Formats: sequence, C-alpha cells, structure tokens
Amino acid sequence: MRQFVIIGNSAAGIAAVEAVRKKDKESKITVISDEDYPSYCRCLISYYLAGEAKEEKILYRPESFYKENNIELSLNKKVIRIDPEKNRVICEDKSQMTYDSLLIATGSSPKIPDIKGIKKSGVFKFRTIKDAKDIEALLPVVKNSCILGGGLIGLKAAYGLKKRNIEVKVIVKSKQVLSQMLDFESASLIQKRLEENGIELVLGEDVMEVIGNGDIKAVKLESGKVLGSSLVVVGKGVSPNIDLIKDTKIKFNEGIIASNLMQTNIPNIYTAGDVCESFDITSGEFSLNALWPIAVEQGRIAGANMDGDNLSYEGSLGMNSIEFFGLPAVSLGVYKVKADNGSFEELKVLDAKVNLYKKLILKDNFLIGAILIGDIKNSGIFLRIIREKIDVSPFKDRLLQENFGYPDIMDFVKVKENIYV
Amino acid sequence: MKQLYYKVDKCLGCKSCEIACALAHSLTLELFKVLKEKTLSMPRKKIIVCRGKNYPISCRHCKDPKCVDACMAAALTYDKEKGMVIHDDSRCVGCWMCVMACPYAAVRPNIKTKIPIRCDKCKDKNELACVKACPTGAIIWQEEIAMQPGTVPDEGSNRKR
Repeated sequence: MRQFVIIGNSAAGIAAVEAVRKKDKESKITVISDEDYPSYCRCLISYYLAGEAKEEKILYRPESFYKENNIELSLNKKVIRIDPEKNRVICEDKSQMTYDSLLIATGSSPKIPDIKGIKKSGVFKFRTIKDAKDIEALLPVVKNSCILGGGLIGLKAAYGLKKRNIEVKVIVKSKQVLSQMLDFESASLIQKRLEENGIELVLGEDVMEVIGNGDIKAVKLESGKVLGSSLVVVGKGVSPNIDLIKDTKIKFNEGIIASNLMQTNIPNIYTAGDVCESFDITSGEFSLNALWPIAVEQGRIAGANMDGDNLSYEGSLGMNSIEFFGLPAVSLGVYKVKADNGSFEELKVLDAKVNLYKKLILKDNFLIGAILIGDIKNSGIFLRIIREKIDVSPFKDRLLQENFGYPDIMDFVKVKENIYV
Repeated sequence: MKQLYYKVDKCLGCKSCEIACALAHSLTLELFKVLKEKTLSMPRKKIIVCRGKNYPISCRHCKDPKCVDACMAAALTYDKEKGMVIHDDSRCVGCWMCVMACPYAAVRPNIKTKIPIRCDKCKDKNELACVKACPTGAIIWQEEIAMQPGTVPDEGSNRKR
C-alpha cells in the first residue's frame, strides 16, 4: 500500500488530501502539522480577534474530516529535515516517517525585524490561532498597541484590536499602507477609511526599539519619537518555511521551486502553497504568491499528480481581496508601473468623494493588472481576462463602464458555455 | 440537474426577473413592503446590456467552482447531489474572495450585510422566481443537457426528473 506524507495541514495540504481521496480511498495518508490544532481558516484569525468569528466557525473542515477520510493526523510535530535518498522525513522529536510520495506544504512564517527588544514578551506574531489567542488573553490589561508594518497582516491585526477597543497605531516604513498590493492613490482611500475608524497610521517611520523592563511600555521610532504601547504585533511580511530542505538537492530560491505539475526537482516530492515559488503568469517569472485561493489550487493539482494524474498548473499571480470598515479593495497582478514607462497603458477612474477608484494596467492591449476600490464587482472578470490572456481591443472602451460584464468577454474566453441561446 | 438557460433574443431587459428575485429573497415577500425592510433585498440576477442585447447574469453553480476554492472561511461548499454551490451565511466574514474569483462576475458584494449576493436557485424550489416572472419566456429552467455549441434547449419543456 502506498504511503503519502503531507507536511502542512492548511489550504494546500487539505486540498491535496481531498484530491487524493477523490479517487483513492486505499493509500495511506499522513498529515503532519507543527500546530496543535486541526485545519482552520488561518485568514480568519483577525476576525476571531475582532470577536466577529467564533472559534467553532473557523475550523476549515469538521473535526470528523480526518477520520472520515482515513487520514492519520499528526499534530504538534515539526519536520526538521527531509531525506530524499531514503524517502523519509525526520521530525524534531527524532521520530521518522517514510513516504512513497511527499508534499511539502509547510507555508510561511512571519519575518521578525532585528531590532532591540523585539524578543520581549508582549511582542506577537500574527499568523496562527495560537498567536490570536495569546493576544486575546492579554487584552484585559492592554490599553494601547502598536503594529509594526502596514501590510495586510498588520492592518488585519489593527482591525481586530480596534474592534476590541484597544488603541492602535500602525507604524509603516513606506509612505503608504498595503504597498505590496496598492498604489499611492488607492492606498490613500483605504488610509482615510482606517483613520476615520480610529486606527492611527504613522507613515514613513520605522520602529527602532521596543522599550520596557519586563512588560512592554513603548516603542521608539527612527525619528526618536516614543509611542506608549503595551502590546506589539509584528506584520512585516512572511518568508517560506524551507529550513527542512536546505541541505537537500531540492531546488529553492526564496521558496521551493514548483514545476507546472507542482513537483520539485525530485520526482516523488511535490510542493504547494505559501512555501513554493510557482510560475507567475503576469511577470513570467517564478514568484511567491502566498494567498489562500492559490494554495488551494496548487494543493489540489499536487495531490492529484501525486496520485498519478498529470494535471498542469496554469500559473499563479499576485492578487488579494480585502475589506476594511465597509470599503472593499481588490488588487490583481501588476498594480504599479513606473509613470515614464511608455510600454504600459493605464485606464483609470477616480472619485475620491465616493471612495471609488479603478485602475487597469494594459500592455499591448493585454490586461496585466488592476486595482479596484469601492466597486469590485467586476474583479472576477478582470482576473479572467488576465489569466486567459484575452486581447481587450474589442471592448477596451467598455472596460471601466458601469455596464461592463461577462457578455463583453464571452466570445473570447477559453471554455465557452451554452446557457445563452 | 436543472439549470437556467436564457433565450437572449427574447429578453426585453425589463428587469422583471431582478425584481422577482429580490422579492423572493425578502422578508415580507410583498412588493411595496420590501422597500421598507431594514436591509433592502438585492436581486441575485442582473441584466447586463451588451452590443444591444440583454444578458441575465447569475451564479452558474459551476461544477468546478472557483468561488469555493477561494473561500478562506469555508462558507462556500459544492453540494454534488443538489448540483449547487451552497453558502453558509454564518461562516462568512465578507472578505469578497468569491467575488474576486468568480469568472462570470455573478457574485456581487453586499457591503451592508457582508454576505455575497448570489443565486441560490430559490433554495432549490421547483419553480424559480425569475423564471416565473419573465413575461416573454426568455428564462428556461430545465434539466441540464450536454449541449453541442449552437444547440437550442427544448423550450419550456421543464421536464420532471
């Protein structure tokens, strides 16, 4: 009987397990996680912290999932090394496991800046349900907090804390929030919304030190300014968890390099999710695109292929959808190009009064990216145009019109449907 | 499995389907009282006018649903038996990943309720509000047939399973 080992129990790992079990009820599947929790919706920890999502609602699959699918779940176990020659994984507790086929879906971990005081208790990461619970446990004695970083994780932590009536200051090195998904104009709309809702933003500043003897008292900024804070959350981005393969022949750059089959350069070892670099269809290069929907897609393909399929992944792209205090924002693909670069064309609508912003970036009449604030209803169409590389010339003048929609592109999509007769 | 088909040439763009849909998903189910409801019921179906024709757009209940993959809250699931994408409102956090993922833009955000607006096939009723309301018979609700491109579905046949 074949043995599948899946390292990682989140989006990619579960999608892979489900793909295997769709056809194969027999093979043995072991899922290993270094967390002490069955699979849960990681992206919901901010909603949990905010008090908007109850703990029982953030389980990604019911607790019976593992038993029903005949999966051995090994929690609280960290794989520290992979031995491709002997087809085995070695865990921190010295235990070993052999596999016929392995999936590395170890995800990523928060980057921790190297600043004085960052290791003090009261400084938190914001990645796991445990992080959220640890923060929550302190809330009764916390009045004010600082978030390091104005990216998605930082802002979501800020939102969660603000909803629990904690004063929040977000310290952002860049001159704008969400610099990894928005341009300056769109970010300013989000910033306004955050500030209107009591989240204070400190832009263009970096934290130099976390101050406090025992408990945290304040953070000191580059400018010398000191901000009182008894809780610090670090949201400075994530890096792939690749330590376990660093001394193997498995190829990696920042993340593990995944082929279009979601295979590493070792044939019986696959990879998916935040830990891997996959072909990015907007840049044409291998990139980290750490996002839940992408991890699910990749995990499914990896799982099917581990079980003998030959599915090809069309590639990933950077994208995200967020909403803060009623203002939705979507970013797709390339969201910023240098103003003086003539080979790109930007189509834009801005009405700051109603918090509406739409920007499309085109190259030779092909859409390569978009930012949508306020009105996101066509984001799925734009995503499809990017993914399927549809020439927009026939409907370019309609792209940003209110009435633009699927009928405009239906004659040009890859898989035609037959519901309109 | 029953699916919705549209005779585009018959569609007047009168929006009767939109109104009927919003009404069917309201609390009072009465046209003039609906407007006074605290949260305005929104149509799950929208008419898009393109090149002079009217196209009703609503959830396809895809067998390979991108929205289900994208749902980071596991609020969306695909029910194989019903052939439907099901939304569990109680799990939804309003992140709009489903809106971003839908290749038809058939899922729209309802910012007020924080729940996406999408067709629920009138909760699997035998007769859908939009079909009933269409004055020209442009909306056809019938067993799914593997159609070759260009084939016309059997009008009004609404065969029982």
